[in-house]
Amino acid sequence: MTEIWALVGTVQQWTFEWVVGPFLFAIGEAIYLEEAFNALEGVIVGLFALIVIYLVVRPLEIWRPVERWADQRAVRTDVIYTMINHLGVVPLALFILLDPLERQFHALLDDFGMVPWTLDQTFPALQAWPVATMVIYVFVFDFFEYWRHRFQHRLTWWWSLHALHHSQTQMTLWTDTRNHLLDDVIRHVWLVTVALLVGAPPASYLLVVVLIMAVESLSHANVRLSFGSIGDRLVVSPLFHRVHHAVEQSGARWGCNFAVLFPVWDILFRTARYDRGYLPTGIMPDGEPDYGDGFWRQQVVGVVRLAKALVGRAPPSPTADAVRDAR
Amino acid sequence: MPRLVPALVGLALLLSTALVPADARAGSGNVVIVLNSGEDTISILDQTTMTEVARVPAGREPHHLMPTPDGRELIIANARSNDMIFVDPRKGGEIRRLRGIADPYQIGFSPDGKWFVSNSLRLDRVDVYDAQTYERVARFRGLSTPSHMSFSADSRYVFVSLQDSGELAAIDLTTKEVAWKVAVGPGAAGVLTTEDDRFVYVGIMGSDYVSVVDWRERKVVDRIRTGRGAHNVFLIPGDKRNVLVSNRLSSNVSIVDTETRQVVRQIPVPGGPDCLVFNADGSQIWVTGRWSHKVYVVDMRTFQVLRSIPVGRSPHGIYLHVDPTS
Repeated sequence: MTEIWALVGTVQQWTFEWVVGPFLFAIGEAIYLEEAFNALEGVIVGLFALIVIYLVVRPLEIWRPVERWADQRAVRTDVIYTMINHLGVVPLALFILLDPLERQFHALLDDFGMVPWTLDQTFPALQAWPVATMVIYVFVFDFFEYWRHRFQHRLTWWWSLHALHHSQTQMTLWTDTRNHLLDDVIRHVWLVTVALLVGAPPASYLLVVVLIMAVESLSHANVRLSFGSIGDRLVVSPLFHRVHHAVEQSGARWGCNFAVLFPVWDILFRTARYDRGYLPTGIMPDGEPDYGDGFWRQQVVGVVRLAKALVGRAPPSPTADAVRDAR
Repeated sequence: MPRLVPALVGLALLLSTALVPADARAGSGNVVIVLNSGEDTISILDQTTMTEVARVPAGREPHHLMPTPDGRELIIANARSNDMIFVDPRKGGEIRRLRGIADPYQIGFSPDGKWFVSNSLRLDRVDVYDAQTYERVARFRGLSTPSHMSFSADSRYVFVSLQDSGELAAIDLTTKEVAWKVAVGPGAAGVLTTEDDRFVYVGIMGSDYVSVVDWRERKVVDRIRTGRGAHNVFLIPGDKRNVLVSNRLSSNVSIVDTETRQVVRQIPVPGGPDCLVFNADGSQIWVTGRWSHKVYVVDMRTFQVLRSIPVGRSPHGIYLHVDPTS
């Protein structure tokens, strides 16, 4: 692990000193050297993670695919989403948006004599146990991710955005990032809020995000892979998550297997299903089956669907009955 | 479940105990302390072997550090956790912790030892405390990203660089008012009052120069080109004429003659040089490499890097202990 961090650090330094720093200087924005250096770490870690994920997961998809498709244009669109997300475009935009808000929030707290609560400052001994602290952070984030995911399915307006993610009938390792940009914004605001609540430092936050990225890429992969009856109850597997994406489970109000990393939340809140196999993915026709077939089209359609949902004109969800029948 | 509650309470109490034991970490007292701002740790280096002998947790985002006026304690300012750790300057062990100091990014004592000033870079404010009690006596809001500071010799003014607005502000510590502000350049960073108390040098990180401010006239009287990302300015012990300037993007340290206002030498120091300290006899500087996660030891006779020492991520403030009895 130390060697990986050292490599990341070397690439970060080189890229910064030879590319990013001189570029900022050339455009007269060198006052942001520090911010750019820190942001670059996220981009490089994202790139490293993406390479590792591809090298590990892609061979699995080739080895034991659930489905084979002649035309994979839909998959190529998901690759665009992945590049935008994992290579820092969305995180960088959100950093620029959220950092001033975070600073104002902290200033406000300070005006009332309050300090943002942090786990490791409340329990300083945890700082000597970074692995244990990380495990706690991971579970806390995963808990909130589970509930965010449930709300995405439960709230009609949120489902109008999240439906894009479920509309993919050719689910692959790239599909985990197939989200409407507005949904990405909400997700990052949610995650940053959780980070503020538990006081996770930026480095820990980055590691949690990378871990989620890795497991989600694997869980969306087009691969026949289960971790066994016990393993599927410990970590989200491709089989476990495929059931969540199954056509028969789709819909705004219903569904199962919402967990991102650990199925324990589905087991605790009674939303886990282990009785289904490798099912086709997608959404049952709900009167508006067009989710767009390219990045920009999908973004536009998503906004229209959201607008309809907000004014109460969202199409009814026939899948609710269908899912009840399926149960 | 009933058995679980006392167990959890016990665990919580255990975890609430002090973080860094007060015992010596390096042992020899011959230490250099480095703040790894990107990973919330302190590296303790051995001056003789030029190696890292320990790395211990600090508070959140430690950036700058300085000894108390009596030299008995070293203050480490943790910006994000709003606290300061007082450690043994000889060995690095924690002595005490002071909470409730808002975002202490850069800190300083007035030369008369009366005032303690804390710049809150993220919260846009400067706080002035009684240096004996650390009770806050004044707060200055609306100063855009206050970064570094220096004092006038008579302790009346503290000069604070304002990073985002590119200004130098003078705060009158007698009247507790912002006396004036003057534009100095984009990304105003390190601040140094010259030995003769006539000028204030300000590193202009967003460009490649140091602004020279005649603080009595309240105007910039010169610009000295040192290198891209000119960041911090340092006195040279025993040398009243020259100062050092670290240039983060050019990756060098400039020796600047304050009489001629010319760069007399460029010392290559890789990795984004930031803060630096001299060793006891002035033959070396120890420089934090912000981008490379290393500390560089430079021989000031040959101007060559003697050693690069890997430390934690984003090393910033650095302190080298000089034993007054030695």
